[in-house]
Amino acid sequence: MATMNELRASMPARQRVEEALNKAKALQPLLNAVVTFVDPQSQLDQLADKPETSMHGVPVVLKDNVCTRGIRTTASSKILDNYVPFYNAHIVDKLQQAGAIVIAKASMDELAMGGTNLTAASGPVYNPYDRSRMAGGSSGGSAALVAAGVVPFAIGSDTGDSVRKPASFCGVLGMKPTYGRISRYGIIPYSSSLDHVGYFTRSALDAAQALKILAGRDDRDMTSSDREVPDYAAALNSDLRGRRVAVLGNVMEAIDNPQVKALFEQSVEALKQRGAEVRVIYLNEDLMKAILPAYYLIANCEATANHSNLDGIRFGVQQPGDSMEEVMIRSRTEGFGSLIRKRFVIGSYGLFVENQEKLFRQAQRVRRLIVEDVTRAMQDFDILIAPASGDVAPKLDDDSRDQLSDGVLIAENHMIIGNFTGWPSCTVPMGMIDGLPVGLNMTSHAWDEQSLFDFAAAMEEITGLRDAVAEVK
Amino acid sequence: MNYEVIIGIEIHCELKTKTKMFSGAPVLFGAPANTCVNEIDLGHPGAMPCVNRQAVAMAVQACTALNMEIDPLVRFDRKNYYYSDLPKGFQITQQFHPIGRNGHIEIETEEGTKTIRIERLHMEEDTAKQFHYDVGTLIDFNRAGTPLVEIVSCPDIRSGKEAMAYVEKLRTTLYYLGVSDVKMEEGSMRCDVNISLRPQGSSEFGVKTEIKNLNSISNVQKAVEYEIERQSQILDQGDQVIQETRRFDEATRTTVSMRKKEGAVDYKYFPEPNIFPIRLDEAWIRSLQQAMPEMPEVRQKRYQTLGLPDSDVRLLVANKDLADIYDQVIQHTDNARIAANWVIVELTAALTKRNLKLSENPARPQDVASLVDMIVAGDISGKQAKVLFEEVMEGHDPKQVAEQKGMKQLSDSSALLELINQVLDEQPQSITDYKNGKDRAVGFLVGQVMKKSRGQANPAMTNQLIVQELKKRIG
Repeated sequence: MATMNELRASMPARQRVEEALNKAKALQPLLNAVVTFVDPQSQLDQLADKPETSMHGVPVVLKDNVCTRGIRTTASSKILDNYVPFYNAHIVDKLQQAGAIVIAKASMDELAMGGTNLTAASGPVYNPYDRSRMAGGSSGGSAALVAAGVVPFAIGSDTGDSVRKPASFCGVLGMKPTYGRISRYGIIPYSSSLDHVGYFTRSALDAAQALKILAGRDDRDMTSSDREVPDYAAALNSDLRGRRVAVLGNVMEAIDNPQVKALFEQSVEALKQRGAEVRVIYLNEDLMKAILPAYYLIANCEATANHSNLDGIRFGVQQPGDSMEEVMIRSRTEGFGSLIRKRFVIGSYGLFVENQEKLFRQAQRVRRLIVEDVTRAMQDFDILIAPASGDVAPKLDDDSRDQLSDGVLIAENHMIIGNFTGWPSCTVPMGMIDGLPVGLNMTSHAWDEQSLFDFAAAMEEITGLRDAVAEVK
Repeated sequence: MNYEVIIGIEIHCELKTKTKMFSGAPVLFGAPANTCVNEIDLGHPGAMPCVNRQAVAMAVQACTALNMEIDPLVRFDRKNYYYSDLPKGFQITQQFHPIGRNGHIEIETEEGTKTIRIERLHMEEDTAKQFHYDVGTLIDFNRAGTPLVEIVSCPDIRSGKEAMAYVEKLRTTLYYLGVSDVKMEEGSMRCDVNISLRPQGSSEFGVKTEIKNLNSISNVQKAVEYEIERQSQILDQGDQVIQETRRFDEATRTTVSMRKKEGAVDYKYFPEPNIFPIRLDEAWIRSLQQAMPEMPEVRQKRYQTLGLPDSDVRLLVANKDLADIYDQVIQHTDNARIAANWVIVELTAALTKRNLKLSENPARPQDVASLVDMIVAGDISGKQAKVLFEEVMEGHDPKQVAEQKGMKQLSDSSALLELINQVLDEQPQSITDYKNGKDRAVGFLVGQVMKKSRGQANPAMTNQLIVQELKKRIG
């Protein structure tokens, strides 16, 4: 296949866009990764006026929670099945200014709530490496389309680990920059204090170039930063000498799968050989086990408010009713899947005046403690690494795992640290187990995306998995 | 039984900002429905709030005018409830950390000046406006997201008159600040009154009712007085007041039950995650405070110092736009008292006659001032002054007009004496009449002098001098 740069060199824009669309359509019955195909004609027509960038004429995919003017945007929820935004998300304008060509809106877990991509209104997304397995979520469609070689770049969003987990399962690079680095304006939210715009690529260089295009202050998102955006690609450097790496020991101890452990240890050895100084650190184990419940409360409490606008009154699918109240109740009851309704109930419960202090506010305090613990532990390190998941992508019908075991509580939820702290975090492939990819997760200090790109470049050299593409069968 | 009345008032004021509280859509009163809206005001998915700096500036000034402590760390919260006029399903407000706390204003009561404490002032966004019809409901989202300040008084108010005085004082203060139109009829100022009664001497609060839909200041007093009477009768009969929301019905001048309050609604307030706390720069706050216009109390004292009668002071202070015109006039004249009279009486009458608003006043302040000076100097007669004022209302300089029309009043006593003695010489019968006690003769003589002077003689001086000369001749 080809990364963004190689693709741009290989053939004219119209041809590569056409080929990407053809491939996406051909794979749709196999992957079910697309919600809506986008006619690229008008974008191609305007291409001549666009500046020469790394994305010029490059076909890209957007997660379906990214608002696109005039193009259906459903967030994979029934209630938004007919929703056509009249405005563009900030990043859509950014991508189009850079000449990127949006060819599809990708499937996701309904309203980005979930880690399986089994809850999309359009049905599950299948893993390109093994269609009996899940792609992961919530940005599963985006991850699968990059992994299958349909596009070299896709937008995702990451509230818990919704870019970095599917990246692990699909064997691609999944990047979540610092909170505030990319504007969230126009991204259908999940949990505002945890939501990040992220993306998938198949190379470190593409990832570095993409962030330059996406990042920067947007006055419409008050949480976006006016910090200058560096030229990450120009500074890209895979030399790891003197870089201080912390291995998150709690995760290693929680993982049961010896093959995953072995792959990770090989990676660590290779990093050491390239001059990285590696030490194992431990975070407070009780706090590690509290990550998931704290996350659940914060995310669901914020989500229940964030999605109160979905009432069928002004937009979206409206169910009939005799009163405004009945219209709202019926539209919401029929418009959301049962998992979403469950989360709204949990969120509302956590916000009730009699519960808020001991649930929502307590969760926020736990979040603060975890951030303080990580900050303390990372004082002398540049980067924190751990396997992105304790295993390869699960089977579609796999519900065997005990959600409260350490193997799940810690090994499958530690990447939420990146959302609690807002620090940049990235998953890259670290190898294959029986033909299935497994990812390595790296987290650096706020605004130090450069270290992640540098390590991603080093990992590409170590694994040889740069531009790895699944052959979908 | 004798009851003590406990009243607290919540006032919502729309701020006169260019754009909305959290969006760049314009704030325009009377624009066609749903034309001042964007994705933020309509609560579309993915839209995010951006705090309006001008609204914060106005809130800072309002807090200052109401003698409040200002919290320099501005924070917002979400108030969650489902209603079709609330596009996002939550309202962004300041529940936990209002920008202003612990303020007070003074009102005039029959017993003298009284201080009403103000508990809090916070910023929030307005809801959409709904129009209910038999066949359905129409929603105009132009109002959705309009900046509001909510001002909550302490329960310090004790009567309908005090309630009205409090609302009037707040209204005047905010109007002076220029932060709000404060028009109750148009809804840019809305007033909810909480009222309860308790036996005189009791320390516990009684059950309160909340009165809404008060669309004029005088209705505040009427509604409160009716509600006091209603609650007294209930309590006198040994019954319980029901906690409920009532509205004032203008036609019957009574309050009518709207809805019972069955347990408090849980709005599940929590901090707005899309707006980080904003630290206000102290220098910015100071500059806003320094830029504040003169407040009513200051203007009142200034007018008192100028020696205006109390009635004029009250009238001008209550009527900022008229007082602004008056202030312009007295920049050009030292005759403040006479000027006040001409602005209050003649100017308003002349505007009414022409069907003009104060803002359309065509008279130049310096012209009104010269006219006043001419009157005081005795250069023109009262009658001439009225004629000249009509010219001033056309934008003309009264001095020029007086000269052109030869309207100068003859106030030179030696010239007048010459004229008077000419007339006396011609009218011996009048001298005889005067001698015989016929005072009418003086009036006749004045008329003759006026005739001779072609209307320019100063009537008062003429009168005085004629009497003086008559006495000489009969003496």
